[in-house]
Amino acid sequence: MDLSINGKLYQVEDSPNRTLLWVLRDELGLTGTKFGCGVGICGSCTIQIDGVATRSCLTMLSQVEGKQIRTLEGLATENPDGSLQLHPVQEAFIELQVHQCGYCMSGQIMQAAALLDENPAPSEEEIIAGMDRNLCRCGAYPRIRKAVARAAEIAAGG
Amino acid sequence: MTETPKQKRKLSRRDFLVLTGVAGGLYFGVTLGVLPFARLKLAEYLDEAGGPPMTVDAVPLAWFEIGTDNLVKIYIPKVEMGQGIHTTLAQAAADELDVPWEDVSVLNVGTGKGLDDPVGTSASNSTSSLFPVLRQAGATVREMLRFEGAKLLGLAAESVSAENGFVTATQDAGKKVSYGEIVGAVKEWVVPEKLPALKKSTDFKYIGKAMPRVDLLDKVLGKTQFGFDVRVENMAYGAVATPPRLGAMIKSASAGEAATMPGVIKVVIEDDFVGVVAERREQAWAALSAVQIEWSEVKVWEQAEIEALVQVGNGRGVTVQTEGDAEGHLRGSVLEAEYYTPMVFHAHMEPQSAAADVRAESATVWASTQSPVSVRGAVAKAIGLEAEQVTAIPTFLGGGFGQKINNIPAVQAARLSKAAGQAVHLGYRRTEDFQNGYIRPPSRSVLRAAVNKNGLIEAIEHKQASGQVAFPFFPVFVSKVMGADFGAYRGAQIRYGVPHKRVDAWLADLPFKTGWWRGLGMLANLFAIESFMDELAVSVGMDPFLFRLANLPLDELGGRMKKVLEATREKSGWDTPAPEGRARGMALAMDVGTLVGCVAEVSVKNKEIRVHKLTGVVDAGMFVNPNGAASQMEGGMNMALSSALFEETQVKNGALSPTNFGAYKFLNNSASPEIVVELLESGDEPLGMGEPPLGPVAPAVANAVFALTGQRLRRLPLKLA
Repeated sequence: MDLSINGKLYQVEDSPNRTLLWVLRDELGLTGTKFGCGVGICGSCTIQIDGVATRSCLTMLSQVEGKQIRTLEGLATENPDGSLQLHPVQEAFIELQVHQCGYCMSGQIMQAAALLDENPAPSEEEIIAGMDRNLCRCGAYPRIRKAVARAAEIAAGG
Repeated sequence: MTETPKQKRKLSRRDFLVLTGVAGGLYFGVTLGVLPFARLKLAEYLDEAGGPPMTVDAVPLAWFEIGTDNLVKIYIPKVEMGQGIHTTLAQAAADELDVPWEDVSVLNVGTGKGLDDPVGTSASNSTSSLFPVLRQAGATVREMLRFEGAKLLGLAAESVSAENGFVTATQDAGKKVSYGEIVGAVKEWVVPEKLPALKKSTDFKYIGKAMPRVDLLDKVLGKTQFGFDVRVENMAYGAVATPPRLGAMIKSASAGEAATMPGVIKVVIEDDFVGVVAERREQAWAALSAVQIEWSEVKVWEQAEIEALVQVGNGRGVTVQTEGDAEGHLRGSVLEAEYYTPMVFHAHMEPQSAAADVRAESATVWASTQSPVSVRGAVAKAIGLEAEQVTAIPTFLGGGFGQKINNIPAVQAARLSKAAGQAVHLGYRRTEDFQNGYIRPPSRSVLRAAVNKNGLIEAIEHKQASGQVAFPFFPVFVSKVMGADFGAYRGAQIRYGVPHKRVDAWLADLPFKTGWWRGLGMLANLFAIESFMDELAVSVGMDPFLFRLANLPLDELGGRMKKVLEATREKSGWDTPAPEGRARGMALAMDVGTLVGCVAEVSVKNKEIRVHKLTGVVDAGMFVNPNGAASQMEGGMNMALSSALFEETQVKNGALSPTNFGAYKFLNNSASPEIVVELLESGDEPLGMGEPPLGPVAPAVANAVFALTGQRLRRLPLKLA
């Protein structure tokens, strides 16, 4: 079957019962998406499917045929001159030096990007509610909240 | 028992190793305390890397390389697990070298490449141990570059300066030669007999500045390789059986259907080990559950039995601190209280993982480890090779917190690889990660004290019991000689100025593995001591801030404690009324020389404790990277808050419980308070920042809950009746 990931088509063996997370990571080498708990609690494996933040550890291949999958590796874009254009969320996470170990941050960033697509100017309460199911053991929550607010500003031209 | 101050050894020119590359380039190493057998390996590595074939007679602990392209690579034997250590240490070297920040990169390489750090990345020691060394190394190379650059310019060394990657004539800024050009031209380097002076703090360009983390661009792009991400050629995936109950051993096993299941390459059945190697991870897991294993019958432990084992006065014990005659002064009217902290998991987001490629005469292991040197030794022993035949490469860590000092997954991956004859990656599922580790042990503290009417503590006694913390990682004789476990009683000493004090510690033997957890016994002991300080203050009707102030020791430490307490009071608004429905609590911690003061502001709704704000003031000597230090404060305080409010591992039906996130609840975004941090400098040498912020949070919260509700909670996690 064909999978559309970050705008590219990948061919994978037709086994609809396989979990998307392990196909992404082990078969296709897209290890930016992380494994944390395998039961959809921690959010480390968050990706976007047709723009919606989704836990890839609970997603079967059969559910994503014909859909657009986006992983952290596909979040930044290329400028016309070939240089890298970070997504506003990536930019804001660097600006506020959010990461500690950074393992959960793939999921945090993908969750935040989806949140801002849906709500470009979230309040602090909306940010906390939108990010509350993505766990960070290093405890970087205060900076995550600030960075999501900052990303909204950057996206709005600030 | 008093603590011996850290021995400081001054570097001399003999501690440096200088090599030149065939294609130019300068390799400069610091050779302090390195194991000799890796010498040959370094020579091989330099060969491969284009360096000179040569006999190397010493191996650097840390080293850097200046290329003819002016780029500076700094090789650091400490792993990056979120503490920002690569950035902090690069600041030290780059500042003294005086090179543009953009030209610096930091690399972390494994054993066999000259970097054998026997300590590992632990105990908040990376900055405090390597900062002075890297500065001296940087300053020395800069001096050598200045000397050689002057020669190339045809000038006297006194007439040039070395700055920003160039040696420049003092009288003519147009006359200059880059560091890259110098290392390309010079073949023989001389380390100065007298090592140059270090920069004055007013001349710092990077030290003390909020330099951006060197690893974040890769991290936001998803490029960073953590242990779970390792992919090597011809790699299969492994799974290893975990005992269903504590202490259960394999009696017998047969492959059964597993051998013929899809993708299975090998079912590995050895005396004490059952695993599967398959083409895919999911296939290995499926096959593992089909292997028939008979486990030995064992006692089925329950939580109450575990807690009963952790008792002061039970078994082996040692006196940790004694001054005056505490016992003699604790007769009659004394205050006594008992505190308990539970087992907890580390719950690093990246489960433990490793990959191994074992060949007939050599092996390479990639591991999410805090201690590549011990991985090398343990793997060599497990698969019958010599340590020199094994290379252990640490990856970036998705959190470690002390768990990743163990070698379990690395050894298992190596055994699977040896049996299957190909490279194998082993990544634990969360349930396996929780069962296969050294968790934080339970602890109990009993404190007694006598306070006079002026609010001065006349005598205090702390009796502490805990499961093992450090002993599992040392030879058995260490535990025999030392009695109680120094990891377990970390933080148990009384730092206040009390004429009569005594601290004793006992070790409980528990039927499961316990070990290092960020700060070791520090969080548990400070929860007890700093809660008790609040109880003592209340008992004499004193403000907890003033009570602490009154009982400070009259020495340098006491002076630092006073400043931290006063700043904490100021920053938190201690003397102003708390917002409606809230109350504040205070605590003060000392760990690895660093002092942390904390005020928690809490409210209670439906018996649920809500922490709105944590104010943290830290004195860690100096701050190499203030933004990084603030980040450690925020994260460390949040991790401690998670312990204070939510976390508890229990033994149920003979196994550790819960078995995954969710049921094992820890702090989420909405439970994270506002965190206000203040950094206080007290010297010119950095102390540890990785663990100390965890010290004062739980008692500050418990003390605030008491102030609000009148309920004294002496057990973690804090739960209102």
